[in-house]
Amino acid sequence: MKRLQKFKSAFWNQRDIAGSHLHAGFNFARKWKLIVLFTSFMALLPLFVMTLVDFNLTRRTIEDEVKTSISKILSSAAAYISFCKEMNQHDLNFITRFESGEDNDMFVVNQGGTLLTSSFYYGNEGSPTLFINTLSKAKTGIVETITPDGESVIAGYTRVTGTSLILVLVKSKKKLTDLWLKPRLKLIGYLFVSIILILLSIMGLATLLVGRIHSADKKRLKALHHAGYTNKLASIGRLASGVAHEINNPLAIINQKTGLIMDLVTLKKELSSDERLMPLANDVLDAVNRCSTITRRLLDFARHMEPSIETVNIEEVIGHVLAFHKKEAKHRSISISVDSPDSIPEFKCDRGSLQQIFLNLVNNAFAAMKDDGRLDIGIKLNKKKAVVITVADTGSGISEDDIHNIFEPFYSSKDKHWGTGLGLSITYGLIKEIGGDIMVKSKIGKGTSFTLILPITAEAINDKG
Amino acid sequence: MKQAYQTLNVSKKNSIELSLKILLVDDEKEFVLTLSERLQIRDMWTAVVFDGKSALDLIHTDAPEVMIIDLKMPVIDGIDVLKQVKQTKPEIEVIVLTGHGSEQDKKKCMGLGAFAYMQKPVDIDLLSKSLKKALEKIKANKSPVI
Repeated sequence: MKRLQKFKSAFWNQRDIAGSHLHAGFNFARKWKLIVLFTSFMALLPLFVMTLVDFNLTRRTIEDEVKTSISKILSSAAAYISFCKEMNQHDLNFITRFESGEDNDMFVVNQGGTLLTSSFYYGNEGSPTLFINTLSKAKTGIVETITPDGESVIAGYTRVTGTSLILVLVKSKKKLTDLWLKPRLKLIGYLFVSIILILLSIMGLATLLVGRIHSADKKRLKALHHAGYTNKLASIGRLASGVAHEINNPLAIINQKTGLIMDLVTLKKELSSDERLMPLANDVLDAVNRCSTITRRLLDFARHMEPSIETVNIEEVIGHVLAFHKKEAKHRSISISVDSPDSIPEFKCDRGSLQQIFLNLVNNAFAAMKDDGRLDIGIKLNKKKAVVITVADTGSGISEDDIHNIFEPFYSSKDKHWGTGLGLSITYGLIKEIGGDIMVKSKIGKGTSFTLILPITAEAINDKG
Repeated sequence: MKQAYQTLNVSKKNSIELSLKILLVDDEKEFVLTLSERLQIRDMWTAVVFDGKSALDLIHTDAPEVMIIDLKMPVIDGIDVLKQVKQTKPEIEVIVLTGHGSEQDKKKCMGLGAFAYMQKPVDIDLLSKSLKKALEKIKANKSPVI
């Protein structure tokens, strides 16, 4: 069964996975069956009909031909007999033997049905035959009958003019059949071979066709979701920047009021007597600074949601992403390490895409890890002048079955570990868009490691050293 | 006409900063009033208006040397104020101080001739430094004439 599974196209087991999300669904296996059935029917029906017609026609032609030849032989033999008039037994025997032709049984009976010459089917001369009863009153004729041996035969007869003799020619139907059936059977053999070929090509074409539709459908859905995701991110970005801007105004007021308090304390001696005032005001300013760091970070992040190619420093991008996770890491005592032994040159890339890629990967890593985990990020340059970044966590890991599918849209493992099943497919799409590649290694219980390769090639601007 | 520009320490009239007249334009009243008071403590003459139109009216009657403007304001926003100031009174230095700062805004403002672009919440010392630099620039521009 496993071997058979190899030949199955990817769509075979894909049943309306996408259907539940967006459209009414498309059962690929059913469509495939329908196409194969319909096309096979349409292609093979005329073939069958033609063969059947040809079969019958050949049989009838051969039979007619045989009947004509029987009549010819009989009439010539009868003419001979009637011409001679006076014929002894020996003459009759001679005629029936030599006029009959190959594989035929020719004999002469009298009106009572007694054989006057010996017959292959009906015995020697003098034997009575019931054969005479089947004949009509006509002078000549052809009947189909069954011999005493049980063999079905075609019998032609003619009443010899001027005598009471009836000349009979019997031909075995079996031999007749042999005459035309053998070449027909060969033809039917060819027919079956071609039917099998036609069926195979129909199935192959249907597989190709449905496979194409399937992959196109998948691409369309992916694009649709990518667009949706980008839209969502852009909205989040707008929301975040809106909030950040609005918060900046009251923050500025707090900042200035506190500053004024400090100014007043410095100016007026009666206020500076309380030693706690200045430290308190400083604490407020510290808090304001913290808030403004957050709003600035948000603004900076939101700004890069729109796609634009710019010079990026990969370490800085990763640092920005990790800054969002610092608090969570502290709460869950997850240690984060960033290791970049090589000096990575700045390169041109879509900073927003990079941000999203690393945000997704780091989010996944955090979701997969329990408390006390470790997130290691390594940044290196490889020989081909590409940046290789590894994001390794000590989380729950991904099973062998799942690992081949994690970049597929809507793929979500059974325990819903990957959420909507879109994050990694989006990440994959983004990486492909900027010309990179991503690989994954994982061990259940040990953790998962994603390796990203980002080409910087000629666009490496300057080595920061 | 009422003197628009005020300072707290009138006694220090002859110090360098005193010659600096600053117009603050911002619709966040609490913010701009407090900032004005703090600048006055730092021996600067300041006036406050809450919208772009009043600011444009004031530069024609009693021109400041430096303006601090917010970008997002009702009726006439900061960018328009900056444009008109630079068109009519290019000698006035304009410092943009906003909570809505993006790189694009910054580029636009600097392109229009703003002296500096700062984001709220701003440290008063940073702002003072920027103001001092503006003063130096104004002096440098004036000296060849004298």
